Amino acid sequence: MTVGHSGHPDYTGLAGSPSPARRFALVALIVLVFVGAGIGSAFAQAGDAQAGKLVYERKCALCHGEKGDGKGPAAELLVPKPRDFTTGVYKIRTTANKVPTDRDLFRVITDGMPGTSMPSWAVLPEKDRWNLVAHLKTLAPDTFKEAPKKLELPKEVASSPESIRRGKEMYEAIECNKCHGTDGRADGPSRPELKDDWGNPIAPANLTMPWRFRGGSAPVDVATRLANGVVGTPMPSFIDSVEKPEDVWHLANYILSLGPRTLTYATLVSVTNVSDAIPDDPDAAFWKAIAPNHIALLGQVIVDPRNFNPSIDLVSVRAVYHDKEIAFHLTWDDPMQSVEDAAKKTYADAISLQFPPQPRPGPERPYFLMGDASDGVYLLRWQNGKGVTEATANGPTKIVPLAGSEATAKAVYANGQYRLVIKRPLASKHPDRLTFQPAVFTPVAFQAWDGGAGETGTKMSLTSWYYLRLEEPQSNRRFVVPPVVAILTFAALLLVVRVANRRA
Amino acid sequence: MRRALGALLAAALVAGVALFVHRPGPVDAQGGGTVEVAVTYNGAPVVEKLKINKDTQQCGTEAEVDRVMVGSNKGLANAVVSVPTAKGAPRMVKATVDQHGCKFVPHVSAMMPGELELKNSDGILHNIHTYSTVNPSINKAQPKFKKVMTEKLEKPEFVKLTCDVHSWMLGWVAVLPTPFFGVTDANGTAKIENVPAGKQTVEVWHETLGKQTREVEVKAGQVAKVGIEMKK
Repeated sequence: MTVGHSGHPDYTGLAGSPSPARRFALVALIVLVFVGAGIGSAFAQAGDAQAGKLVYERKCALCHGEKGDGKGPAAELLVPKPRDFTTGVYKIRTTANKVPTDRDLFRVITDGMPGTSMPSWAVLPEKDRWNLVAHLKTLAPDTFKEAPKKLELPKEVASSPESIRRGKEMYEAIECNKCHGTDGRADGPSRPELKDDWGNPIAPANLTMPWRFRGGSAPVDVATRLANGVVGTPMPSFIDSVEKPEDVWHLANYILSLGPRTLTYATLVSVTNVSDAIPDDPDAAFWKAIAPNHIALLGQVIVDPRNFNPSIDLVSVRAVYHDKEIAFHLTWDDPMQSVEDAAKKTYADAISLQFPPQPRPGPERPYFLMGDASDGVYLLRWQNGKGVTEATANGPTKIVPLAGSEATAKAVYANGQYRLVIKRPLASKHPDRLTFQPAVFTPVAFQAWDGGAGETGTKMSLTSWYYLRLEEPQSNRRFVVPPVVAILTFAALLLVVRVANRRA
Repeated sequence: MRRALGALLAAALVAGVALFVHRPGPVDAQGGGTVEVAVTYNGAPVVEKLKINKDTQQCGTEAEVDRVMVGSNKGLANAVVSVPTAKGAPRMVKATVDQHGCKFVPHVSAMMPGELELKNSDGILHNIHTYSTVNPSINKAQPKFKKVMTEKLEKPEFVKLTCDVHSWMLGWVAVLPTPFFGVTDANGTAKIENVPAGKQTVEVWHETLGKQTREVEVKAGQVAKVGIEMKK
């Protein structure tokens, strides 16, 4: 039963260990909350559907539609489509039947659905969110006639190398790869065929990016999705379809071992100074030692044709240089390797790095969307099947390749991921090609195209300007100077003491 | 007191069993007749073909989905014929659908409300994903080691079977309110036996051509022939 503030420790904001000084206030607050629960639970339990309707009309109807049928004015731009509440079909449930608990609904409203257009509504007062829950239930009265039945999961198995190994074994045995791909990057052979229950194309989850899991990325969330399936999507229920019930935990542990739980995005792209030769092979061990800069990309929605649902939203950049060359190692997921093919309506997968043509003092930069007529940009572009080119651009539709490219590139595509190394001489005599200088903040931006998803031209994902900084060579002076200073100081001290002693 | 209660219980049990045994069944040659239905179609067969990019060992390299299968003399195969007006004891036979060669075999099956047995003789991952309105929809994985699964379909309805792993896989299960039913063969005919005598309605359903009904007079010990033409 979902009741009151006290029943929802996750959302009270009271977690953490308070200082002794605050303890009294905290206890008082808890008592207050408990006392208030009598009143509080009244709306938490039942919620006020009428009040919820008013909140719904202000906050939800734009996407989910006035009647809750998922046909709001914004719906057509969204992938996945907003939920049609009149069907009573809910993806994220902790129940064994099709009826979500009030708390399941409350959680989605509060946390949103990562990786979709559904944001967190934690900004709304808790009371409003419970009222929304009550209103949603009135939109599918038939579904909510039945009581939610709690899903009983087997006892949790903590993650361990053994559990992860067993999970991998099960992953292969039950063929998760058919949709989610061998390495979990959503590139399985069934991917292009997948449709939801309403006939809309739907992509499987990229299991290496748990921060985008719709229903959360805690082991219990993943195990619940596996056990229950995701209703309305191709994801089936597996609780009766694993060898042993506890395999859902092993699978969850394996899946969560495929990628980091969260990602720290870079604010600055730092370029490491190296003395060794820079390898061309993107899979060389050399690159693993370089820290990646994770860059988030968004759909290009300024110029027609726009890209409201970009395929690529993350590029990890490793960058190094030495006195002659600079190299960029780029890693990004793309579910299908594609080249330009008019018959299949696919285009070449591509990525580009954008710089001002020359270093410039001051904060002024060209327009981030590939420059404009008066202030252009310099591009290092790589296209699958064509390789790397250098170009200048005065806007996204005015790209002019530069003759005599000095850049080289080597790409690897495997299991839904591109890894690419682009190299270029550090300096260039050509006025349109940037000369990279150490210790200077150089503007850089990124653009990416998933040609298999029909992305080409202005249909791209991109970033605004970031800064690139070539870290200065690490000299050995830092190991020499401080000890010398220390020794000299100590010697001076001894001298002072000795002189003082002699005088005394 | 306790003995009396026991006796009463035993009596009730006997009575119950007797009642069950004596329930009027469809298997009564004297009281029933046979309905022979010939379903025809005035159009061309519809076959969808597509290239297969996975599990080619089990599925082959090209999938053929018969949406409309027309045999000799325009006979329409895979149509469900039933006599919904005729009541009788439930046939306690499970319907069985096999997933074989990445196809649902048979493509169309019929049953009374109850259990549907799903076999996976392909030995690869399939998922049973049903589309229904009155029965709860099912989406359950059936990996290679899960040879048989049993699911419940408790309300009369035409349930669509799909598999998301192999999107071309398509099957239908007709859950019917009557034990008097059949599915037309390659020549478009189906025979329903022991149909209670009297005025009855024959219903034909096809996955893409819809429904039609015909009145028929069933006479005990005789064969009543019904011809139904389905139209585009």
